[in-house]
Amino acid sequence: MSGKVAAAVTDVFGVSDIGRRRARNEDHFIVASLRKELAIRQSNLTAAAWHDAESAAEAQVFAVADGVGGHEGGDVASQLTLTMLVNYLARAAASFNQLGADEENAFLERLEAGVHEVHEGLLAQLGRGSRAPASTLTMVTLVWPRAYVVHVGDSRAMYLHRGILRTLTRDQTFAEMLVDDGTMTPEQAARSMLNSTLTSAIGGQDMRPIVGLVDFVPGDVLLLCSDGLTKHVSDERIAERLGEPWTAEQMATTLLQDALDGGGSDNVTVLVVRMLG
Amino acid sequence: MISKKVCMVGVFGTGKTSLVQRFVQTKFSDRYLSTVGVKIDRKVVAVDGADITLVLWDLAGRDGHQEVNGSYLRGAHGVIYVGDGTRATTVDQLGELRRLGTESAGDVPSVTALNKIDLVDAWTVSRAEEAALAAQGGLFRTSAKSGVGVEEMFLHLTRALIAPGGSV
Repeated sequence: MSGKVAAAVTDVFGVSDIGRRRARNEDHFIVASLRKELAIRQSNLTAAAWHDAESAAEAQVFAVADGVGGHEGGDVASQLTLTMLVNYLARAAASFNQLGADEENAFLERLEAGVHEVHEGLLAQLGRGSRAPASTLTMVTLVWPRAYVVHVGDSRAMYLHRGILRTLTRDQTFAEMLVDDGTMTPEQAARSMLNSTLTSAIGGQDMRPIVGLVDFVPGDVLLLCSDGLTKHVSDERIAERLGEPWTAEQMATTLLQDALDGGGSDNVTVLVVRMLG
Repeated sequence: MISKKVCMVGVFGTGKTSLVQRFVQTKFSDRYLSTVGVKIDRKVVAVDGADITLVLWDLAGRDGHQEVNGSYLRGAHGVIYVGDGTRATTVDQLGELRRLGTESAGDVPSVTALNKIDLVDAWTVSRAEEAALAAQGGLFRTSAKSGVGVEEMFLHLTRALIAPGGSV
């Protein structure tokens, strides 16, 4: 993409729930706007004229983090992950006003560098080792119409485009690794305990962010979620819900209820972004 | 360090993701899921005494539901077009994809990977078609599975990216 970025018009809603069986909620999410510091205090321009100048520099950030279950302090890990990420992005905000083709790779590197910084920060604060708290992170930075995805762990990003649900992320679990190796079939992986064992996590022993991007069009619906949703709600049902003529809030709360009705065995976080143009 | 954006372009299932994974991680899996949007990887390559960071944009393949998004190619310094030797129709479409690449990225260096040479007995691409591709220059028979031709292809393109004039 080139030239000035355009602000996206979106309808966004996020919700997080402890579920039916867990003692605490280890999931966190954020919805944030990033803009270069340009605050017009006074002008004789019409509001419509300067609104474009302000909003042109805007990017939106959506992220879900799921503290690694079974570890003490998983809730602290996911909270710290998003807090440190927000602080990093606030410092890096100046780079979001122009995204020509030449700047785009540098921008992606900065996003990835931010994840590495958060990882190191978590290790410094919470310690290293197999029992140290850790977190997943699925982050989408929307600079309309392009969405930059950075993913670690098994929280997911998917989107509905013309009725078809596409998954932007792939779970970083031992089960998926064994599927890649041909040791396990996808069906075996879905039933395996290894399906919830992460091979990569923020603050974990290994952390390998996956980076990608996709262009949206008006009408697309983006979903970020923790595995508390996908354990209980099928892709078909998710597609059905995201295809309804609902608000983001209706979609998110209905999907949450679906997960709870399906058992609610884990914390559930659902973040829905409707692309309005 | 010099950084170069290289796009992988082709029909779905031709092995674009597998070629990138073979090159970046020296591993192969025949179970990669279809790419959605673009997946991005990096690899530092030492060529002629210079370290070059290749930023590899693995674009979702063209299929019956989606065309290749030309905006992903904008700003590319090089392009790798990938055909599957066992599916001649994927090679037939390379001409059209090349036109898209040139429209979107300009006249940048490119190579063509005729992939799945490990399955050469099942190839449906004729010698004449292969010769026609070779005549355009920069044709490599590759196998993401065995690694044959992969490193050579990426290094060849990298040299072209840093060469004056950028010819392949």
